[in-house]
Amino acid sequence: MNSHDWFIEHRQDYAARVLDPDDERTFADHQARCEACRTAVTDFERELEWLPMGVTPVRPRPGFRWRAIRAVLGPSRRSAWTVWVPTALAAGLALWAGLGFREAAARGAALEGKLATSQQALVALGDTVAALRGAARILQASISMDEHKGGLLIFEDGVTHQWNVVLHGLPPAPAGMAYQFWFICSDGMVKSVELTPLGAGPLFVTLGMPSGGGQVVGAALSVERLGSVGQEPKGRELVHLML
Amino acid sequence: MRLQPVRAGSGTKGELLSGERESSLRARLIGRDETALVELIDTASPWLLGIAHSMLSDQDDAEEVVLDTFRLAWEKIGTLSPHDDQRLVPWLCRVTRNRAIDRLRSRRRQRIKAERIEAAEPPSDWVVPPAEPNEAALPGWHVNHNVHRALADLPADQQRAVRLAYFNGLSQSEIAHELGVPLGTVKTRLRLAFNKLRGALAPLKDWVL
Repeated sequence: MNSHDWFIEHRQDYAARVLDPDDERTFADHQARCEACRTAVTDFERELEWLPMGVTPVRPRPGFRWRAIRAVLGPSRRSAWTVWVPTALAAGLALWAGLGFREAAARGAALEGKLATSQQALVALGDTVAALRGAARILQASISMDEHKGGLLIFEDGVTHQWNVVLHGLPPAPAGMAYQFWFICSDGMVKSVELTPLGAGPLFVTLGMPSGGGQVVGAALSVERLGSVGQEPKGRELVHLML
Repeated sequence: MRLQPVRAGSGTKGELLSGERESSLRARLIGRDETALVELIDTASPWLLGIAHSMLSDQDDAEEVVLDTFRLAWEKIGTLSPHDDQRLVPWLCRVTRNRAIDRLRSRRRQRIKAERIEAAEPPSDWVVPPAEPNEAALPGWHVNHNVHRALADLPADQQRAVRLAYFNGLSQSEIAHELGVPLGTVKTRLRLAFNKLRGALAPLKDWVL
């Protein structure tokens, strides 16, 4: 038995990583200089490449997916906006819910239903806030509509490339009219969805990028006649945002 | 708190990773497509966490190893040639296993680990019997089923040695200590077992997850 026979004999053991640490280091040093052993080890690894799949799979804990994405892409992708805007939004919502609770308590049992509805909305919006924390970019515009002051927030999801759009503080559209969301694209305007605020709470929608119209360069919101089939805005433009 | 192994039909989404889909996924990863990264994480995480957890018996350590694996995959995916026959998921499995072993040994926890192996076995009702695979719930069950069948065909003493080596990350000396047999006996058992497994798993060589 010459000195190389030991390495030949232990190729499988090295590839399977069952050698004791000292032997493993010895083999690793040798392998760096020996193409035959290197090739044999690679072949062995390929032959048993599915063996680790004999384990019991484990369900990732909640949040693992985001941790993995952040671990790979880095936390720097998140702007400060994504930290304090959701926090401020959540604080505002909590205040709103708290006031709602006091009011309901004061008015008695008749308002309990309303409180429950508010709390459901708060939970739903809490989920929304959690989703928005992953945004890579945020656009914001203030809107004045009659006596109301509201706004449009667009959170760009850097992973799915969808937009999470929040419309808040606006009254229901005038009779026979609707709020219309538009993508501003390199080839022109692309009609998106009608936004219909329900009650006093913010409206949240998730939009995929339009299939036509070229590159998306911005967004607009206008008030259009209900059922309008036009592909260009004709009504009053409330928001015009460029990326 | 222990990790929760996946049950069949428990709602984990996934699709069979065909050869064509794997090629597409690899190309998109090389092209820095972040949705491809999410797809890879969703597909591979349960298996990679299973590998790391079987060795480390620690939830946080297992997750850190898998996060390291995804980081490395994102950085090094370009070094895998499109014409290389190295499959994506087996490559990730190997990286995860190697990193878990490195962590295990660097912390010198083998002895503690060996004592915890039995205790760390998940309750039987957590484990999906390999005889009841559910590809719709989690891709990869067909591979798991075939690996179990190959292991089941080994004599019990060889099977035990392979499980300790491959799924618990013990070295030959540690296995000898664990089983109370001479080191030479362990080497022989592993060598015989690996030779049989190479033949039994050969049909899987061209499979994809």
